[in-house]
Amino acid sequence: MKSFLLGFKKGFKLFSENIALIVNVVLLTFVYVIGIGITSLVAKLFGKHFMAMRLDKKKKTYWEKLELKKESMDSYYRQF
Amino acid sequence: MYVLGISCYYHDSSAALLKDGVIVAAAEEERFTRKKHDSSFPLNAITYCLKSQGITIKDVAHVGFYEKPFLKFERVLSQHLEMFPKSFKTFLSSTPSWLNEKLRVLRTIRKKLKYTRGVMFIQHHMAHAASTFLPSPYEKAAILTIDGVGEWTTTAWGVGEGNNIVLHEDIRFPHSIGLLYSTITAYLGFSVNNSEYKVMGLAPYGDMNRETNPFYKKLRKVIDIKEDGSFRLDLSYFIFHYADRMPSKKMCKLLGGPIAKRDTTMTKRHQDIAAALQLVTEEVITKLLISLHKKTKLDSVVLAGGVALNSVYNGKILRSTPFKNIWVQPNASDGGTSIGVALYIYNTLLNKKRVYHLHDAYLGPSYTTAQVKRFLDKNKINYTTFASDKELVETTAKLVATNHVVGWFQKGMEWGPRALGARSILASPCNPEAKELLNEKVKHREKFRPFAPVVCEDDALTYFESDKPVPEPTDFMLMVYPVVKKWRTAIPSVTHVDGSGRLQTIRRAQNPLYYDILKAFGKHTGVPIMINTSFNIRGEPIVCSPYDAYKCMMGTGIDYLVMDKFLIKRDDNPQDKWDSEQYAKD
Ligand SMILES: [Fe+2]
Repeated sequence: MKSFLLGFKKGFKLFSENIALIVNVVLLTFVYVIGIGITSLVAKLFGKHFMAMRLDKKKKTYWEKLELKKESMDSYYRQF
Repeated sequence: MYVLGISCYYHDSSAALLKDGVIVAAAEEERFTRKKHDSSFPLNAITYCLKSQGITIKDVAHVGFYEKPFLKFERVLSQHLEMFPKSFKTFLSSTPSWLNEKLRVLRTIRKKLKYTRGVMFIQHHMAHAASTFLPSPYEKAAILTIDGVGEWTTTAWGVGEGNNIVLHEDIRFPHSIGLLYSTITAYLGFSVNNSEYKVMGLAPYGDMNRETNPFYKKLRKVIDIKEDGSFRLDLSYFIFHYADRMPSKKMCKLLGGPIAKRDTTMTKRHQDIAAALQLVTEEVITKLLISLHKKTKLDSVVLAGGVALNSVYNGKILRSTPFKNIWVQPNASDGGTSIGVALYIYNTLLNKKRVYHLHDAYLGPSYTTAQVKRFLDKNKINYTTFASDKELVETTAKLVATNHVVGWFQKGMEWGPRALGARSILASPCNPEAKELLNEKVKHREKFRPFAPVVCEDDALTYFESDKPVPEPTDFMLMVYPVVKKWRTAIPSVTHVDGSGRLQTIRRAQNPLYYDILKAFGKHTGVPIMINTSFNIRGEPIVCSPYDAYKCMMGTGIDYLVMDKFLIKRDDNPQDKWDSEQYAKD
């Protein structure tokens, strides 16, 4: 009886893990297609890029301004 | 005042504890969990840090983290937006860890540490910059950080002065020297974020001449380098910005073949590709440093980020750029940022004077004589006790001189990826068979990789064509220099195919016993240099505790273990239950 219960528990755990995985994949696919996909297509229509993708042989430098220095203490408690 | 720095969730998670401006403890999580490059939350490392000072989290005034997670997530989302729909697979595989782990780091810190106050988040490259400038010996220095990627930044330059740091300019993802290096590492069949140093070791077998190396010109096509060293990658050769693999089909075509399988025997072609990569990397960094010197007009430079572990290039910096002084901390890669976080909070944000200079790397767990003895007795291990330090030094030097392989366990475990005389394996470099012996019996590693020599700092210039005076990063095995020609045949096991050696210099104040053994070994053999290789089997992290060390010795061909003041002979103890040979892996 004990081993049956243990086996049942194990099987149920595996089943619920698989369900969670499937739900995750379905949800993430939805987010990817609707959220990322539409935004990406609209942005591309307007020629917007999210990263600098291309080389620019005419540019003299690829350095970008950063000026990262000590800020107010509050800003360090933020994760962005 | 105590400040705790934490880095985790990428690779090599770690923790560091600062007390009144001094780093008093620091360690990587992998050493405790025995999982190489462990990236999980460093609870064991934090516990060690707190315990070492006899405090609890309640005594810690500030806790800091090595990046801004939301900024990094913004970059990851930007990758998906830019690369839709190619990034679908990566989105599915990586998003759960972002949602469950990386974006919940504040909650994790509070929950796991029972910490109730706010956590400070320091931008990743600032943590790198702070980790190398603030513990350096310089009042003012130019700073260059180069890694795979932080939030957005992959390369940054700035200036450190007193307790302040400004990072002026950066180069952003996906343009990254670190990721270029990792891409070719993957192409050659090695593991990324682990084996980049193997590619560096492979390079000297290839053609290191730009004119004649057939792959140099090819690799120059994948990167556009401006006169000031700033660069961008031609992304058609890469897929790391949307997939979990790194080189694209176009890169494979350019390099004349598919991605090498794991453990492929390296041919001349592979060697030339590794050499071409080293040439391109050196070209970029040289230009970056020359322009950095022009901009800052400073004599001293400090480096951080994974690329600063390229010891072959580090050894050339003072000769190929106008900089006169160089400093790199022993843990220059991501694992080392936790000390940067702690120092940045204390020195820069709280505006406290710098009082700390990182002289040695022995920041990890140490064990008292009583603790080691208790371990040996409890496990019924046969051992003898040295009557004095003099006897310990003489006996150990003699054992190494008579071609025995000796495990060496003293002081606090090293901070960073190199064994530096606290958790080391020692052997004689004069023995032409030492390399084979160590490779087959202990290290199980690739045959092309040389072993590293250790030499007393005051003897270094006799045997190595080092910069004068010997730069401090040489103490951390971060500078490769040519072996003086007439000594190359005397120490064949530590002389690389191009005549260079990845030496460690040791100063007596750092580790007196280790220093004295070298001198004693010199008296026996005429050459005060030993092989120093990390105390581990291939694929495992460096040993941390007496248990790890004993297990490693019994499972391999290490003949003796000198642990604290005790000598343990492998043959005096039963081996079967400690057999660890089976655990050797890449
Ligand atoms: Fe980094």
